[in-house]
Amino acid sequence: MAARGILLASLLFFSCLAVTCYGIVLFSSLPSTLVVTASAKQGQVLKAGEDKIAVTWGLNQSLPAGVDSAYKTINLKLCYAPISQVDRAWRKTVDNLAKDKTCQFLIVSRPYDGSNKAVQSYEGTVERDVPTATYFVRAYAYNSDNVEVAYGQTTDSHKTTDLFQVQAISGRHVSLDIASACFSAFSVVSLIGFFVVEKRRAKQSQRK
Amino acid sequence: MESPPPKFALPVDSEHKATEFRLFSVAAPHMRAFHLSWVSFFACFVSSFAVAPLVPIIRDNLNLTSTDIGNAGIVSVSGAVFARVAMGSACDLFGPRLASASLILLTAPAVFCSSIATSPTSFLLVRFFTGFSLTTFVSTQFWMSSMFSAPVVGTANGVAGGWGNLGGGATQLIMPLVFGVIRDIGAVKFTAWRIAFFIPALFQTLSAFAVLIFGQDMPDGNYHGLKKSGEKAKDKFSWVFYYGFTNYRGWILALTYGYCFGVELVVDNIIAEYFYDRFNLNLSTAGIIAASFGLANLFTRPGGGILSDIVAKRFGMRGRLWTLWVVQTLGGVFCIIMGQVGSLSGSIIVMIAFSVFVQAACGLTFGVVPFVSRRSLGVVSGMTGGGGNVGAVVTQLIFFRGSKYSKQTGITLMGIMIICCTLPLFLIYFPQWGGMFCGPSKKANATEEEYYLSEWKSNEKEKGFHLASLKFSENSVSERGGKVDSVTRPSDETSSAHV
Repeated sequence: MAARGILLASLLFFSCLAVTCYGIVLFSSLPSTLVVTASAKQGQVLKAGEDKIAVTWGLNQSLPAGVDSAYKTINLKLCYAPISQVDRAWRKTVDNLAKDKTCQFLIVSRPYDGSNKAVQSYEGTVERDVPTATYFVRAYAYNSDNVEVAYGQTTDSHKTTDLFQVQAISGRHVSLDIASACFSAFSVVSLIGFFVVEKRRAKQSQRK
Repeated sequence: MESPPPKFALPVDSEHKATEFRLFSVAAPHMRAFHLSWVSFFACFVSSFAVAPLVPIIRDNLNLTSTDIGNAGIVSVSGAVFARVAMGSACDLFGPRLASASLILLTAPAVFCSSIATSPTSFLLVRFFTGFSLTTFVSTQFWMSSMFSAPVVGTANGVAGGWGNLGGGATQLIMPLVFGVIRDIGAVKFTAWRIAFFIPALFQTLSAFAVLIFGQDMPDGNYHGLKKSGEKAKDKFSWVFYYGFTNYRGWILALTYGYCFGVELVVDNIIAEYFYDRFNLNLSTAGIIAASFGLANLFTRPGGGILSDIVAKRFGMRGRLWTLWVVQTLGGVFCIIMGQVGSLSGSIIVMIAFSVFVQAACGLTFGVVPFVSRRSLGVVSGMTGGGGNVGAVVTQLIFFRGSKYSKQTGITLMGIMIICCTLPLFLIYFPQWGGMFCGPSKKANATEEEYYLSEWKSNEKEKGFHLASLKFSENSVSERGGKVDSVTRPSDETSSAHV
C-alpha cells in the first residue's frame, strides 16, 4: 500500500515537473482521481435555459491520502461527446490542454474541499448558450498556479457511457418572424409599386 | 425622369460618356450613377457575406458540420454564376438601373429571412438566395462602361467594383459589432445574431430605392425614354447573346477572373473562421483581421483599374494584358505563402500582400472587358462576372468542403491553381491591337472599326443600328498606345490630347 502510494506520489511529482519544464499540460498525463456524477442519465435530454443539472464531485476514496494535497480549485465543465465532434474541427479533442476544445462550457467553479471524505455538489440550470449536442461532465482540479493537475469525468475513458443530450434554444422569437415576413413583403411590393409609377409617368409624358 | 440638359458637368466624348472621373462630385448623370452603383453593390456584398464572421455562433445554433458550412459557402456564390450572364443580357435590353434595382429588391427577402433559419437546410437556402444579389456586379460594370469613356473606363470600373467589394470586408467588422451591441443589450447569443441581420437587409433595400429614384441608365436618359425617342435602337436578345457568347476572349477572361475575384469570394467566406480556429482569437479580433482583407479593396481594385488606364496610355491593350498577368500571378504566389505561414503576424502581413495583388487583378480585368465587345458588353461582362463566381464555387468544392484538407493546405493549393489558371491570358489577341506575344496584325482591315462593326449584320447596318459601335470604335483608338495619329480622330473629342 505504501509502495503504491509512493509510486503514485512520485508519478504526480514528475508530471508536475514536466509541466513546469515545458508549460504544456497534456491530458494524458493527468491522473483520474476525482469521482464525478451528474443527475442526467444516459440518453436523457435536457432543455437549455429550462432544465437543471446537478453534479457532485469528490476524491476517489480508494486512493491513498495526500494525493489531493495540491488541489486548490475544481472546475466542472460540460464536454462534447465524440459523436458531436464528428466533422466539427472547432470541437476537436487535442492532448495539449491549451489547445483542447472538448470542454467549452463551465458549469461551476469551486474551491476544493479535501476535508474528511467530502463530496461537493452543485445544482444549476443549463445555460441558454449551450448548443444542441451530446455531452458528459468532466471536473478538472487546479493547483495554486492555476495549472491542471487531475481530473474526473462522468463517462468512461472511451467516452461511450452515461452520455446525455442538451436541446438548445432556437433563438427565434415570434416578433422576429413577423418582422422578417413584413419587411420581405415590403421589398417586393415596393418594387412592383415603382414599376407601376414608372409606367404611369411614361404614359403621361407620351400624352404631352 | 427628365432628360438632362445638353451641357454636362464633366467633359464628354461623342457618345456623351465622361472622359474624366471626379471622385468627389455627385453631378448627374455620370458621377451620380457611379455613387449609386458602388453603394448598392456594397450593400449586396455586406448581405452576402454577413454570415461569415458570425459562423462560430451560427454553427452552434443550427448544429452545422464543416460540410454544411462548406456547402453553404459554395451555394452562396453559385447562384450568381448564371444570374450574372442573365443580368448582362438584362442590362443590354432593359438598362442597368431597372435590372439592378429589381434584383436587389427581389433578394432582400432572403436576407430578412436569414433571421428565421433553423437547420442546415434552411441555412443553405438562405445563403443561396442571398448570394444572387452579387449579380449586381454586372450592372455596376455595365453602368460604368456606359457612363465613362475609354481613357477612364478602367478607373471607373475599378473604383466602383472595388468599393462594392469593400462590403465583403466591412461586413466582417459590422456584423460582430452589431451582434455584440445586441447581445450586450440583453439578447441571448442565439437571438442576437438573428436580429443583427436586419441591418444589412434594410441597407440593401434602401440602396435599391436610391437607384430607382436618382439613377439613370445612360448619359442621355433612361432606356425607356431613349427607345421611345428612337435614339436607342431596340436590340435583339438572340444576336446580343450570340456575339457575346462566341467571343473567345470573353471565355478566357471568365476563367482568369475566376482566379482573382473567385478567390476573393472564397477568402471572404473562410478567412474569419480560419483565424478564429487556427490562432484561437475571439470573434471580434478574427473579424477585424478578416475585414482588412476585404477593406483593402478601397485602394487595390481601383488601383488596378487606374494602373490599367495608365499602362494603356503608353502600351495600349498589350500593356493592359501584360500587367494583368503579372499582378494576378503574384497574387497566386502570395496565396501559396499564406497557407505556409504559421505565425499570426506573418499570416496577416502575407494576407494583406495577397489581397493587394488579387484585388488589383480584378480591377485590371475590367480594364480589358469593356473592349472585348461593344454590342454585347453586358453579356461579356456577365460571362466574366459569372466566371468569377464559378471559380469561387469550384475552388470551395475542391479545397474547402468537409475535412479533407486543412484550411491552410487548401489555401496553398488554391495559390497554385491561381497561377495555372492565369496562363490562358497569353491566348488573347485583338487583330487591331495585338496580344501579349504578338503585335497588331498588319492587314489593312485590322482596325477598331472592323472589329466592332463585325458584330452587326449588313441589314442592321443599313438601318443604322451600329452607330453607337462606330462611335465607340473611334474612341477606342487610344488602345493602340503610344502616340496616336490625331488626324484619325474627330475634333470634338477632348481626351485624345492626353494620349
